[in-house]
Amino acid sequence: MGSVKNSLLVLLLVLIAGCGDMMDDLAPSSSDMRPSVQCGVTGPGICQNAPDFTLIDTLGNTVMLSSVVSTTGLRGSVLYFTMWCPVCDMHMSHMRANVMLAFPDVRFFAVDYVSGSVADARSAEISAGYDGSGITVLADTQQTVLGLYQATMGTTVVIDANGVVRMNEDYKDGAKLSAVLSALP
Amino acid sequence: MHVFRSMIMAALFMGAALFSPLAAWAGSCCGGGGGTALILPSFYNGMIDVSFDFEKYRGFWNQDGKVTPDPPGSDLRQYRLNVGYAHRFAKRWQTSIMVPYVWNDNVYSGFSSQTHGIGDTTINLWYEAIDDKSAWKIRDLADMIPSVTIGAALLMPTGISPYDNVTSSFDITGRGFYRLDGNMLITKTVNPWSASLSLGYGAYLERSVNREYGRYVEPYQKKLGDRTSASLSLGYVYFIGTGGDKLTGTGSYSYLREADTTYDGTRDPNSGFRKEAVGASLAYASTDHDWSTRISWSHAVRQDGWGDNFPITDIYTLGVSYGFR
Repeated sequence: MGSVKNSLLVLLLVLIAGCGDMMDDLAPSSSDMRPSVQCGVTGPGICQNAPDFTLIDTLGNTVMLSSVVSTTGLRGSVLYFTMWCPVCDMHMSHMRANVMLAFPDVRFFAVDYVSGSVADARSAEISAGYDGSGITVLADTQQTVLGLYQATMGTTVVIDANGVVRMNEDYKDGAKLSAVLSALP
Repeated sequence: MHVFRSMIMAALFMGAALFSPLAAWAGSCCGGGGGTALILPSFYNGMIDVSFDFEKYRGFWNQDGKVTPDPPGSDLRQYRLNVGYAHRFAKRWQTSIMVPYVWNDNVYSGFSSQTHGIGDTTINLWYEAIDDKSAWKIRDLADMIPSVTIGAALLMPTGISPYDNVTSSFDITGRGFYRLDGNMLITKTVNPWSASLSLGYGAYLERSVNREYGRYVEPYQKKLGDRTSASLSLGYVYFIGTGGDKLTGTGSYSYLREADTTYDGTRDPNSGFRKEAVGASLAYASTDHDWSTRISWSHAVRQDGWGDNFPITDIYTLGVSYGFR
């Protein structure tokens, strides 16, 4: 019976040790590993030109990014990528209550990348309580914009009036978003 | 100083989770799987335990505790295979390890994702501080003394976390943080009834983050909030025939709260969560008690106020264990 126990212990250890890049969490690095980004070219990185896109919002309007950013009087645009989960709701509620009011000259978009149609995105928006919130919900039914901005749940992108990416990272507590928006020209 | 205070709290509040519904806190909205505790009964030197969880998501509580549905057309599930081994290394001391393997199965109206990977591993150390004086008859006050087991647990971030080389939140099977728990389990049996109270306090260790979902970011320090858990259960043992086989039914109530996350020492006041749940389980032990099987159900009540900022789920578990004398 002892050999059975030992075999199972070995199996457990092999199972644990054989898994991917586990060491990234067991021994986290604090090194800044960000690759250098070439500014002025189209891409999702900071200082790059924001990839243009056209999506339909949940009210049926066509939204083209390049048209939005060039709107007179608009200092910038925010894209928040949502899958309508608790974390997404936490971020969006915070953004709605603490950020949007302070930046009336910034346009806020939620990019829904999990709904398969504009109608489904509209239903999700309503059931999550964001109808009339001031956040324009875009239906990214093919996950095109998700891919363009290398985004996932909670990714928050700030694009200035010149169409340049100023932020592209997780929302966290919203402090970085407020700081970036405050620094917009 | 905050970490030190957390450690002291953990040491003071030691808690346990002998197959209790506290085991049911593994899931999160986007994966995240964790192990649980395994406690050896008296007179056993070792035990192997294998269980399978099926967790079904049914919306979530928002920050105000209001029930919020998942997007229309979505079907979110997580499956976990938990493999554990417990070993007694001294008369009153035992240790155990529990490793989950997690499958995430998420379907939305416009997208589906099936991913899998190992979850976060739990290593436990237990000390049987006080024995139950009498499990059969109360003759005097001393017979009311319950068994008390205290312990510590280390959650190791062996799962796939948002800080690994992943591209999507759907890939996640772990939280990416170490956590040190202090646990205490108080149990009193007066056959055929038994009651238990399980308390736990856990402190996550702060870590550096330089990558989120596969993309390197400006490094920062992150610490998840301290975790408080409690579970109260009442069980009834039904002896089958005269051979000693027994069937145990248990009902329970569980509470979990996690405090706010901090980023570079600054607290995010919106990030904590809370969940309450009720549960039921049925366990069968054979005559020699070396083998036992169990089924359990952990049910998050889908009503406002039973949680904050957390998914509402049902968890169904099927488990089997074998003890070595």
